[in-house]
Order: sequence, then structure tokens, then C-alpha cells
Amino acid sequence: MILYVIRRLGGALLLTILVTLITFLLLSTSFDNVAASRLGDSANPETVAAMKAELGFDRPVLVQYWDWLSHAVQGDFGVSLFTSEPVGDAVTTRLGVTLSIIVAALLCTALVSVALGVLAASRGGVVDRIAQGASLVGLLIPSLLTAIVLVYLLAIRADILPATGYTPFADDPGQWLASITIPVVALSLHGMASLTAQVRGRMIDELRKDYIRTLRTRGISTRSIVLRHALRNAAGPALTVLSMEFIAMFGGALIIEKVFALPGFGSFAFESSLQGDIPAIMGVTLFAVLLVVGVNLIVDLLNGWLNPKARIH
Amino acid sequence: MPTQSRSRRIRRYTPVAALTSCVLLATAACGGADKPAAGTDTLALAVLGAPNSFQVAQLSDGQPSYVWGSVYDTLLCTDNKGQIQPNAAESWAYTDAGRTLTLKLRTGMKFSNGHVVNAAGVKASLDYVRATPGSVQSSLEAIESIEAPDDVTVVLKLKYADASLVPALTLSAGAIADPATMKDPSAALNPVGSGPYILDKAATVNGSTYVLKKRDDYWNKDAYPFETVNIKVMADRTAAVNALQAGQLNAGTVETTQIDQVKSAGFGVTPVSATSVGTLVLLDRDGAVVKPLADVRVRQAINMAFDRQKIVTQFLRGAGQPTEQIVNPKSPVYDPALDTTYPYDPAGAKKLLAEAGYPDGFSVTMPSLYYTKPFEPTIGQALKDIGINVTWEPVPPQNNNIALTSGKYAMYFTADGLGSFPYDAKKYFSPDGSRNPFHTTNPEISGLLLAASSEQDQAKATEAFRKLNAYGTKNAWYAPVFFVGTSWVTKAGITYLGDGSSTTSTIRAFGVSS
Repeated sequence: MILYVIRRLGGALLLTILVTLITFLLLSTSFDNVAASRLGDSANPETVAAMKAELGFDRPVLVQYWDWLSHAVQGDFGVSLFTSEPVGDAVTTRLGVTLSIIVAALLCTALVSVALGVLAASRGGVVDRIAQGASLVGLLIPSLLTAIVLVYLLAIRADILPATGYTPFADDPGQWLASITIPVVALSLHGMASLTAQVRGRMIDELRKDYIRTLRTRGISTRSIVLRHALRNAAGPALTVLSMEFIAMFGGALIIEKVFALPGFGSFAFESSLQGDIPAIMGVTLFAVLLVVGVNLIVDLLNGWLNPKARIH
Repeated sequence: MPTQSRSRRIRRYTPVAALTSCVLLATAACGGADKPAAGTDTLALAVLGAPNSFQVAQLSDGQPSYVWGSVYDTLLCTDNKGQIQPNAAESWAYTDAGRTLTLKLRTGMKFSNGHVVNAAGVKASLDYVRATPGSVQSSLEAIESIEAPDDVTVVLKLKYADASLVPALTLSAGAIADPATMKDPSAALNPVGSGPYILDKAATVNGSTYVLKKRDDYWNKDAYPFETVNIKVMADRTAAVNALQAGQLNAGTVETTQIDQVKSAGFGVTPVSATSVGTLVLLDRDGAVVKPLADVRVRQAINMAFDRQKIVTQFLRGAGQPTEQIVNPKSPVYDPALDTTYPYDPAGAKKLLAEAGYPDGFSVTMPSLYYTKPFEPTIGQALKDIGINVTWEPVPPQNNNIALTSGKYAMYFTADGLGSFPYDAKKYFSPDGSRNPFHTTNPEISGLLLAASSEQDQAKATEAFRKLNAYGTKNAWYAPVFFVGTSWVTKAGITYLGDGSSTTSTIRAFGVSS
């Protein structure tokens, strides 16, 4: 297991270096444009050259990349050209916003989906039909539409939740919860629908297997069979779906952040790309790669823990 | 890696009536003329763009100045009627045929850290901006040297008369920073200014929310009725409208289509008819890239290709007005008669093209920018109808500036923020102007620019600029199509004091009402 983890971490490191190097090489073609953007209307060849020199863009590209990398491993990711913030602070602050919404959405997704999926598979009948119907509706309704409707109903009409903005947990836990409630609901509906269907299907498959029949004949309670045996075996694929939902939510967070004017990672990444904010783009790329690799690693480890056969691969 | 921020390009330059020179020993300072009723409320405002940096050499005009303009005093300012007024400088005067500008500072001003504002500090601040590459630098390029003969006198010696300098001193170029801290990297996020507000760093989320607290020791504090100003950056108008309706904001701009919605929710609406002008800029007036554009008849034919009224009515759904000039309709330089120079006449345009030697038209490549995409089918079809085939070349957003100033494109479409005409005239007509990348010049333009810049009498200066405006329109240096405006919505108790005369983004445009 330790070797497996070391191998995965080594791969992650290599992947991170490759992705950031390629990103930097691609960005290097726009050094002139970035310098001109900083100058606005007053850009001319002389001032652009002066600005390039001030930004350090006149040095060889690989020297600049090495400079960035050697500083990054020490925790210095440069300063955003767009917000003037240290990139490390900017990214972690904004990641905090996005992750708090995504993690909460994932928790809701996991809890609701597992409960609904297990109930639907084990009870069948009306419960199953309701779960299937809800899944279908959840898959059909776009997150954006859900968000707009919820804002209108809960923020504008009922005035019980804020329409926009984010309050950090440390500032006021109650306000934090209020500020993320609508985004979390909007973001998790699609995931809930998808995961409920997944859990339901896997649970039905598991409950039909021979070992379940054997367990039943040994007089083990249905609750124990469902939760301790069938669910454990069905959890692996569900975890994979959940990890994919995480990445999808991470990508889709931009829309939610726009609708709710949240100072999150998605909008920061979008603005940085639009402006050609090279240090910020590098920071965003690095953190995004680390996050995706990290989540996949956690899912693999969880799968290995749940199913010893998975460790063989 | 780079250590400083860059500027955003949402430009809204100040329209002014007082164009240049002239001694103004006015007693009123900014805020005095439009002094809102007293109050201690909070202004919660949605804006489209955040300040990229509070570092004085990297400030950008337009919407970011709602924030930095509350922290920094500018030497002069523009009131809500578009008039330049005293601010940190109590008076200013041109001498030496517009080559020397003397500013007299008021006494008793202090930076938020307690340092005194004096002439030596103002000189240091201006010199720093002049020496530092950034978007503000070019506004001060006419200055040859700065002197501070005593504590309250700042003398700007100019290389040439520049009518845009005084308007520039009402904007970022006139911001005064504390010389002791302005070069510190921390100034980018934690500014020290002498303005009416202090940035509440703890409550501020950079790029998202800026909280400003009123200074009790500010010299003109009565002109600012709000104890707290809370500025939220919301690029998405729907989010802003939601926040307004949910009571999280009490002022912001909305799209025309959202006006009824906010009115029914009890908001006051103040329309500003023109904040920017949709213009086809005809850059290649000497025909270096696209030879036909050197012929004035070709440029005039292009002006005749647009059914401006139809574009406003159908494309903009009425949220604009047709125009053939680049001047704010509230400016004294604006001439309504010029708006009938080019009636829509495709047949006449084709005839003009034929007379110029292009009976079969010609082809041109224009940059496709992220903000021009909606206009491209309309603009392209209008030009095609008179025989000009347009190829739209995609340009990534971060390349916009360099694309427009590189001289690669002979013409392009843009939505240009309306500013003071001296400022806009410099952009379009000066050999180094950003809207003149081919550096076109001619004796007539040079003469009119010089006359307007060195004229000491305001009325005569205005007249010179009117001639320049007429020259630009009649010689088709551009093909303006429409003005677009905006609508300010405010909650009961808050008023928007502007009428479009000034497009400066300042919280002085907001007051409280009983």
C-alpha cells in the first residue's frame, strides 16, 4: 500500500511539473500582450518593452519557468497582475470559497443519494419509483435554472437567504451557512440525481448476488445485509462517480460563482485567463492539478480500503 | 515573477466644459455644488470592475475609480455637471501660453497615516507616476519638470501645451499618494491616501468587496454623506439585480430590459443617455495597410453605409441614440448638426466608392474582439452592402490592446467610453494617440490641436475643439454609429446626482434623500 501511494505521488509530481511547464510555455507567447494590457491605451513599442523588463518577461522563458518553479516549491507563487494579491493567498482564499460549497454539495449529494438509492433498491415499489422520478428530474433541470428559481423564491420573495455574496465560516458560521445554502442546493441537484441512480443500480445488482442469499439464509438481518455488505461492495463505483462529480462541480463552479457573485476559484481562474494574468494562471493551474490528482488519489485509497482486490492494480 | 497588477480597460473619462487653462480661483470644491443632503447611511454599490491595484502609478480610470477615488484625493475633480472644480488644489492657472500650469494646494490636508499633504509630496507623487511604466504614465507625458517652490505651490513646466492635462488631473493622473509609502509593495492592497475614506482592509475581499470607512479628519467631509461605502464587484448584471432586490445593495446599474423589474420593486431609476459610443475607427487614413482608406470619399462612403436609427431601434432595442460624432452629447463641444452629415445611403456610398476608383469595393480584415462579436453581423452586413468585404480575425481578450495599437488593422469597431473632449481628441488626433496608431497627422489637425491646447479663454478653446470635432466627422476619421447609455437604480433614500454630463466614476454622484 505504501509503495502504491509513493508511486501515485511520484506520478502526481511528474504530472504537475509537466502541466505547469506546458502552461508556462503556452503563456510565454503572450508576454507582449500582457505588458500592453497593463499599459492600457498608452501602450506603444517603447513602453511595452519597458513594462516587459519591469515584469521580468524579457528573460529566457525557461529561466523564467525555473524561477517560478523554484519559488513555488518554497510557497511563493508570485503576485497577481490582476488583483495585486500574492497568488498563493489569492488562490487559497478563493479555493476556500469554492471548496466550502463543493464539499458541502458533495456531502449533501452523498448523503441524499446513498439514502435514496439504498431505500429504492431495498424497498422497491413506490419508493423506488419516486427515487427514479426524482433522479430524472434532477438530471433534466440545469443548475443555473435551479439557482435562479431558488434566488427568486428564497432570497427575493421570502427574504430568508442572501441572494449573493459569501461570508467566511470564521466570521459568522450562521451567515456562512446562509450564504452557501442556495449555491449548494443548486450545485448538488444534478449530482444527487446521477449518484442516486448509480447507487440504486449497484445495490440492486449486489442484492441479487448469491452471497446475499447466503447471508439471508444464515439469518442475518436485512439492515445488516444492506448496510454492511451490499452497500460496502456498491460503494466503490459510487465513490468513483462522486469523484467525477467533484471534478464536474469544480469546473461548473464558475457559473454558480457568477450567479451568486462569489469570490471563488472559478471566477478567479476565468478572470485571470481573460486578462492574461500569468502568475495567477500558473497558480490556478498548479492548484487545480494538485486538487484533481489529490482527489483521485483519495478515491483510489478509499477504494483500496473498501475493496482489498483493488489494491492489486 | 511580476509583482504588480495591471490595469483594466473599462474607460469612462470625464466630460468637461472647462477645457484648459484659465485662472480659476473658485471657492467651491468638489461636492460643494451638488452637495447631497446630510446623512450617515451606507452606500452599497455594485460596480462592474475592481481596482487592479491601489499603487498610484497603476491606478485605472473607469469603474475602479469608485474605490480608489474614495481613498485618494485628486488634485482637481469633476462635479456632477461636468465642470472641473478645485479639490486638493484650491486653484490652478496656465501661463506662458499654456506651457506652465501652477496649482495652489489647500492647507490642512493629511494622509490617513497622519502625514501632511504638501507641495513637495505632490511633486514626489507625480514624479513617481511619470517615471513608472503604467497606464497613468502617458497622461503626464507633456510634463517636462515639476517644481515645488513652497509648501502649497506646485508648478508643472510643460514640453508642449496639452489640453488634456487638466482633465487628467481629475482622474488617476491627479491622485496624490503619500511619498513615504507609495513605493512600498503593500501600497497595492493597502493604500495611504488623503481622500475622504479609508479602506477597511479587514472587511475587504480584494477583487470582490471593498469596504470604505469615512474619515472624520477629512477636509471636505461634509460633502460625503455616507459613513460607510460598500462596493461590490459584480460583473454579472443579473447578480446585481438580485442583490438589489434582496436589499444587499442600494445602488447599481441595470440593463434596459431590467428597468421595469426594478421599478416595480420600488427603486428609483436615473437614465444616463450616453456613456460610450459605438464607433468604427478608420485608422489607416494614409492607406498604409488598406489603400482605399486613404481617400476621404471611401471613409465617407463607410459612414453612409449605416442605418443608424434602425440599428438603435432594432439591434439595441432603443437603448441608445444614433450619432456621427465621438463627443458626449452633454459636452459644449457636441454639435447636433454634425449628426446629419451622413444620411443612410448605400447607393450614394457605392457611387462615392466608384468615384474614388473602387467600383467593385475592396476587402478589409478587422479584429474580432470579445465585445465586438454581437455587432459583427450588423457592421459586416452594412459594409458588404456597399461592396466592402470584412474578414473578422479572432483576437484573444488579453491581446486586445496590442491588437488595436499595433497598426496591424486598418479599421476596427469599438465601444469607446465617452470622456472629456480634450482627452478624446488626444486619443484620436494626436500623432501618438491610442486611436491613431498609424500616427496620421496633417497641418490642419496640428493647428487645431495647438489652438485648442494653448488657448487661455475657455470659450475660444471650446470653439477650437468644436472645429476639431467637425474636422474629424467631415473628414471621416471614424464612423460613429450610436451612443449607448446606462440606467442607475437607487433604493429609496439614495439618489443618483448625475445627468450624464460627467462620466467620472465617483461616489460624489450619490447622495441621500429624505
